[in-house]
Amino acid sequence: MSRIGVFVCHCGSNIAGTVDISQVLEASKDLPNVVLAADNKYTCSDQGQQAIKDAIVEHGLDRIVIGCCSPRMHELTFRKMLTQTDLNPYMLEIANIREQCSWVHKDKEVGTPKAIGLMKMAVAKVDRDRPLFTMNIPVNKRALIIGGGIAGMQAALDIADAGYPVTIVETTPSLGGKMVMLDKTFPTMDCSACICTPKMADVGSHPNITMKTLSEVEKIGGYVGNFEVTIRERAKYIDYDKCTGCGLCETKCPVKVESEFDQGMGMRKAIYKPFAQAVPAKPTIDAAHCRYLNEGKCKVCSKVCPLGCINYEDQDKVSTEVYGAIIVAMGYKLINWADIYAEYGGGRYSDVITGLQFERLVNASGPTEGHIIRPSDGAEPKSVVIVKCVGSRDPEKGRSYCSRACCMYGAKHAHQYLDKVPGGKCYVFYMDVRTPGKGYDEFYMNTQHDGAQYLRGRVSKIYEQNGKLICKGEDTLSGQQVTVEADMVVLETAMVPADDADRIGAMLGITRDKDLWLSEAHPKLRPVETNSGGVYLAGTCQGPKDIPDTVAQASAAAMKVAILFSKDELESNAMIASSDPAICNGCGACVAICPYQAITLEEVEMRENSMKVIRPISKVNPGLCQGCGACTVACRPGAMDLRGFTDEQIMREVEALCQW
Amino acid sequence: MSDIQTTLRTRAAELLSSGEVVEVIGWTAGRFDNQTTPAFITKAEDAESLVFNEYCVNTTSKFSLMERGLGKVAVCVRGCDSRGINRMITDNQLKREEVHLIGIPCTGMKDRKTGEELLKCRECSYRNPVVYDELIGESVTEPELNRFDAVEKLEAMDQAERAAFFDSVYERCIRCYACREVCPVCTCKSCFVDQLAAGWQGKRSNVAENKFYGLTRVFHVGDRCVECGECQRACPMDLPLMLLNRKMIKDLDLLFEAGEAGLDAEGTNPLGTYDVNDVEEFM
Ligand SMILES: Cc1cc2nc3c(=O)[nH]c(=O)nc-3n(C[C@H](O)[C@H](O)[C@H](O)COP(=O)(O)OP(=O)(O)OC[C@H]3O[C@@H](n4cnc5c(N)ncnc54)[C@H](O)[C@@H]3O)c2cc1C
Ligand code: SF4
Ligand code: SF4
Repeated sequence: MSRIGVFVCHCGSNIAGTVDISQVLEASKDLPNVVLAADNKYTCSDQGQQAIKDAIVEHGLDRIVIGCCSPRMHELTFRKMLTQTDLNPYMLEIANIREQCSWVHKDKEVGTPKAIGLMKMAVAKVDRDRPLFTMNIPVNKRALIIGGGIAGMQAALDIADAGYPVTIVETTPSLGGKMVMLDKTFPTMDCSACICTPKMADVGSHPNITMKTLSEVEKIGGYVGNFEVTIRERAKYIDYDKCTGCGLCETKCPVKVESEFDQGMGMRKAIYKPFAQAVPAKPTIDAAHCRYLNEGKCKVCSKVCPLGCINYEDQDKVSTEVYGAIIVAMGYKLINWADIYAEYGGGRYSDVITGLQFERLVNASGPTEGHIIRPSDGAEPKSVVIVKCVGSRDPEKGRSYCSRACCMYGAKHAHQYLDKVPGGKCYVFYMDVRTPGKGYDEFYMNTQHDGAQYLRGRVSKIYEQNGKLICKGEDTLSGQQVTVEADMVVLETAMVPADDADRIGAMLGITRDKDLWLSEAHPKLRPVETNSGGVYLAGTCQGPKDIPDTVAQASAAAMKVAILFSKDELESNAMIASSDPAICNGCGACVAICPYQAITLEEVEMRENSMKVIRPISKVNPGLCQGCGACTVACRPGAMDLRGFTDEQIMREVEALCQW
Repeated sequence: MSDIQTTLRTRAAELLSSGEVVEVIGWTAGRFDNQTTPAFITKAEDAESLVFNEYCVNTTSKFSLMERGLGKVAVCVRGCDSRGINRMITDNQLKREEVHLIGIPCTGMKDRKTGEELLKCRECSYRNPVVYDELIGESVTEPELNRFDAVEKLEAMDQAERAAFFDSVYERCIRCYACREVCPVCTCKSCFVDQLAAGWQGKRSNVAENKFYGLTRVFHVGDRCVECGECQRACPMDLPLMLLNRKMIKDLDLLFEAGEAGLDAEGTNPLGTYDVNDVEEFM
């Protein structure tokens, strides 16, 4: 026989306003095994907690029910309170009679009986509570960061400055991501490279940071505090210990390839450093294009290299290491507009370019040394059309969401064009102008004052006529069809998740939202956490955002890691699944359904029909299990049960509710 | 058929005397001419008692589980039996190397009481075994049929008709669990109906509890059902048990392209598959 104490909270008038507390007490005091039913004005206050602690001693209670606010609010508070008593902190059930009752009802006639029903369920459940215990998991205080854009770099620097070792993995040959490709950044118009490259240099030289460029995360196992990660560093064909980055090899290499960094607007060599300030500041050989590696003849670079750094036999290096926390900062890519917007020429017109190509075009160290000229003939465009929301807010062809940065960088591009081409005409087709940010609206207003003409509507067609690009669209403000002749068109295209996001997300058990961005644990209260413990998100991999928001999120994620690393050991979750080997038949349904790969099957010898047989039996890894309960539902014989939410407890709750 | 029986007896004796297997699971004569009963032959000299005729109504697959631990066992498998074996391998209940499969193409079995072909055989589209180690007899051509005929009739009913129909079905159920015992997919060591502490299922036999059993059963087996129809044959009250199973199979195929279970040992559980890339429309 258990000895249950029931405590009902008024929460001032929050609960008492729509629930008749005395009736709830009356109904609770005679429920099976209840030895005390008491109320309190504010149970979470010091006095309220003291009253419960006193009652536990006075009435010899062995478990309690508190009717109060949501368990999300104060379950932890009350568990902590129980640690100061003789009771196990899990001998507690919360009946949510506030958020799910008093707040959603207007009068006591409805609120009171519902509160009584909720109390009955909680009493029925607490009767089957068992003491639960946590385990201690060691924390490896080393962080892994996936992605070397501004988000990844900021997070790496913050964690490294807090004193913890960090490894940053970047797929391309250099750190920097998109930011280092930009010319200037809105709204202050500071040079993007000038604020980005010092960070790259800091990351490259920080004693706590190990940088792995041209690298990929191949496999991730383990759990918070103990992730086992396999990283493949692709062959660079150059001995970085010897190379000084003199660049002689690059000048002599005979192979020219379109530069990814310049977005196809300029060329690079097969042995190359993607851009002057790249970090690491040393070249790599692009194996797909190197003449020697493909045709067996050339070796020019190795002949000119004064230090003998070139090694055509170089191999990928694969290593496995343990990390305590992982930050995903793999950024975004731009939507492949040419495939979906045939009406804009589908990529046939070389003077229809993307915003990122425009960034390279206006950049003083870009392929045109900052001269705005048309890719087709090198002439200065006298009129430019900027089209916003290409692929954004277009559920039919692209994505339904807003890409958030394009209104601002669209204005930036208009401003830069008008600044560099005096007398030029600039038209901006827009759906809305969204400028929430410090100094953002002022920036947009200035662009209009500069002379940018904003036309509200989508461009429906772009075609070439007599060397001009004819843009047809609707001005929805005047209700008229408009036709604008342009020398060049800039498409501000939608941000979409990076190519590898599904693979990385799947390995880490991060869910994805309807637009396939990696999902945070809670959109408001846990914006940098994921549903996997020890895994955090930073920057645009979680959704479109500009640089200030990216950096803020990166520092927030770094802080979460620092908090995690401030402890030597973690308490594991006590409310996890476990399977009963006497019932488990090893079907593996739980293994397939667990989103955290927490369950394995292990073969054990047992006796069945008086014979020895080998049968697989499921086993839950307590470090990986997040207590979601998916497995308990998938398990047909009910071998798998969730501690704190056992099948039996839920059935008792349902029963109590049915009797109500 | 008598050819098959002769070869079967010879092969069974050979397999047993060579020590390749410790037991042969098949059928032997029953009390009446039009009846057989499952046989578990362990001595070569007893192989003569094996029988194969049009009254071998029992599905053999589930019996192989009872014999686990003895050593390698030979099992006579027709299409239905072989799909059950495959599914038990998928469900980790059996290892392929634990059984030697004697494949027997089948032309349908008869109902002892009416002399007509059994319903489960009339609805069968896999008369040839889908997996075997050796084949006795010539393969037969598979019939063309729509196994969802009855399901379509059910779907055509309006809600009241359907409710009345299921009431009339489950009124008759006596909850003997024969369906569970013979099912090659019901392989839990402990069935939910027997778990008194959790109390999933009431012990009373009434329409409501019986329906609850029927519905839960279809959710537990429907996505893996190999359509051997043995539950329906075993039911002493003649309940149309395959109807709900086939409704589930039809719907799962429509929604998830689930296909047919037990055609190989690599099957999945359509109702129990989690994919992180499942779009979370409700979030
Ligand atoms: C045309 C244009 C102009 C813009 N102008 C401005 C502006 O003026 N001001 C402003 O605030 N914002 C601007 N933005 C937005 C800005 O680009 C982003 O906010 C910022 O770059 C986001 O940084 P990030 O680190 O999240 O992503 P990214 O810059 O995309 O960095 C992600 C990094 O991760 C790497 N990566 C990807 N996958 C993997 C993997 N599997 N493993 C390892 N590494 C991986 C990538 O190679 C990349 O280096 C502009 C955007 C565009 C398109
Ligand atoms: S409760 Fe079950 S499904 Fe959920 S994480 Fe734990 S083991 Fe996996
Ligand atoms: S689902 Fe249940 S029976 Fe199957 S392996 Fe998991 S715990 Fe065991």
